[in-house]
Amino acid sequence: MRRRFPWFAYLVVILGAVAMVMPFLDMVMSSFKGAGEYGVIPYKFLPSSFNLDNYREAFSQLELPRLFRNSVIVTLSVTVSVLVTSSMAGYALAKLRFRGRAVIFRFILATMMLPPFLLLIPTFLIMLNWPLAGGNDILGRGGDGGLTTSLVALILPFTVSGFGIFLMRQFMVSLPDEMLEAAKIDGANQWQTWRLIVLPQTKPVAITLGLITFIGTWNEYIWTLLISSSDPDLQTLPVGIQLLQSFLDPDRTMPIVMAGLVISTLPVLVVFLLLQKYYVRGVVLSGLK
Amino acid sequence: MVAPTRRLGKLHREGRAAYLFLSPALLFFCVFLILPFVFAIVLAFSDWGGFDLGTLKWAGTSNFRDVLSFNGIFVKPILVNTLLFAFGSVFLATFGSVLVAYCIDRLSFQGFWRVLYFLPVVATVVAIGNVWKMMYQPAGLINGVLNKLGVNSIGFLSDASYALPSVTVVQAWASIGGAVLILTAGLKAIPTQYYEAAEVDGANSWHLFWSITLPLLRPALLFVLITQFIGGLQSFALIIVMTGDGGPVNATNVAAFEMYQRAFKYGAWGTASAMAMVLFVIILAITLLQLWIARRRGEETS
Repeated sequence: MRRRFPWFAYLVVILGAVAMVMPFLDMVMSSFKGAGEYGVIPYKFLPSSFNLDNYREAFSQLELPRLFRNSVIVTLSVTVSVLVTSSMAGYALAKLRFRGRAVIFRFILATMMLPPFLLLIPTFLIMLNWPLAGGNDILGRGGDGGLTTSLVALILPFTVSGFGIFLMRQFMVSLPDEMLEAAKIDGANQWQTWRLIVLPQTKPVAITLGLITFIGTWNEYIWTLLISSSDPDLQTLPVGIQLLQSFLDPDRTMPIVMAGLVISTLPVLVVFLLLQKYYVRGVVLSGLK
Repeated sequence: MVAPTRRLGKLHREGRAAYLFLSPALLFFCVFLILPFVFAIVLAFSDWGGFDLGTLKWAGTSNFRDVLSFNGIFVKPILVNTLLFAFGSVFLATFGSVLVAYCIDRLSFQGFWRVLYFLPVVATVVAIGNVWKMMYQPAGLINGVLNKLGVNSIGFLSDASYALPSVTVVQAWASIGGAVLILTAGLKAIPTQYYEAAEVDGANSWHLFWSITLPLLRPALLFVLITQFIGGLQSFALIIVMTGDGGPVNATNVAAFEMYQRAFKYGAWGTASAMAMVLFVIILAITLLQLWIARRRGEETS
């Protein structure tokens, strides 16, 4: 019965795949539509020509280079930081014996259960009243904006990930103890063992975690919207593109927005397609533990 | 006597090293997890409008009474919307992803299909929300197709009775890919001998799915259900992008979005934090309920 041609399965999967891909095709097609072509009935899928006017507009109206630069700085900083802190904490939890290990591991599991929206308000207020930042005094008072006036505000609250530590720890537990013992006999201290022996071994899980963090940070929206609401210089690609619509005529703006979205989606898409094997494995690995 | 002391010394050094390795993470969790969590609880019970902590006043349970009073808008329509949005999208995404994962598992080029379904997971919510907003418009793709079929245009996002289902579909659409991935792992873990044995006994494909696939897929399914519920109950980025203010007339307003508005538009930290707490308790209750049901079922069958 499994050998029979599964026509029903093909039908379901192909219809579903069309529903998955169609919106993205519509996005690309609309990004080429001219002023008279968008928002007219009857709807036409294809643009009359593939001119790049909307892309040019997106670059000037949206200040794409600035948005792009912010997105890159924030995403790379968060990704690198999450990788370093996760592999450090993961190493301690997996391979070092110390008092309180079980408690700390359970605590880290628990951190993953607090939903982000709950911490949104207090985290914002903490950033605003950060001592000795943005003109604040030692008690966090008197300044204008605290930490919320620089890109630090978009990076700092994401520098450590409970999920990342968990993922690294699960992977490192399976590294052979003999290898670490050998390093110690050769006179390596813990720092050197971590840096020279453990770190190179973690490449597969680091790629997975790096990708998950990269995609998540590149696409982050709510927190960035909040922080950049008083300072447009802090906008990233998603926020900048979304806010463009509020002050322009929608029928004219939508194609420009779509051009911006194509540009902002491409880097993530390319990175994902190049490394999707690891991403898939990582999601599966982490999902079922 | 020498050996134990050296051992202790080694353990001591290892402990110090461990805490050094853990220090960035622990420091972070103190500042960005424990502190805000405690702060969130304090805020929910206090009356505070400004930015100077000195003016914070204890308010007892009055914020909760305001939020949960049936005269307000929080319970109905907002909480009702939140539950409809979460239940609806989780139902659609779970049903869809089980069907798709089961079907993909029987085809060739499985990796290719899974990547296609995964595209929405990689895209930003701004891209997803805007593309669907565009497709839902009177002159958009979906109404274009409907018109071709002789159906009149539908105001998916402008008609109050269609708006919530329309965003719910998008939320489900965006989360199918992730669920398919996890369910695939679950499917791969089912030994083929089970199917072969059942086929020898003359079971048809429906029987196979119902009595082998579904029961053995339960751990993966439970994981998908719980994570999607947690996500669905607290997500509001899609609502902001697609409907701007949770309109038309609060038809798509959800609890987390109302919390966001109250806090950052009106500076009502107390009320907003009480809303967050209520939603947090609901999320916790639904998660525990799911785990409890799963465990009970597990005991019955095993």
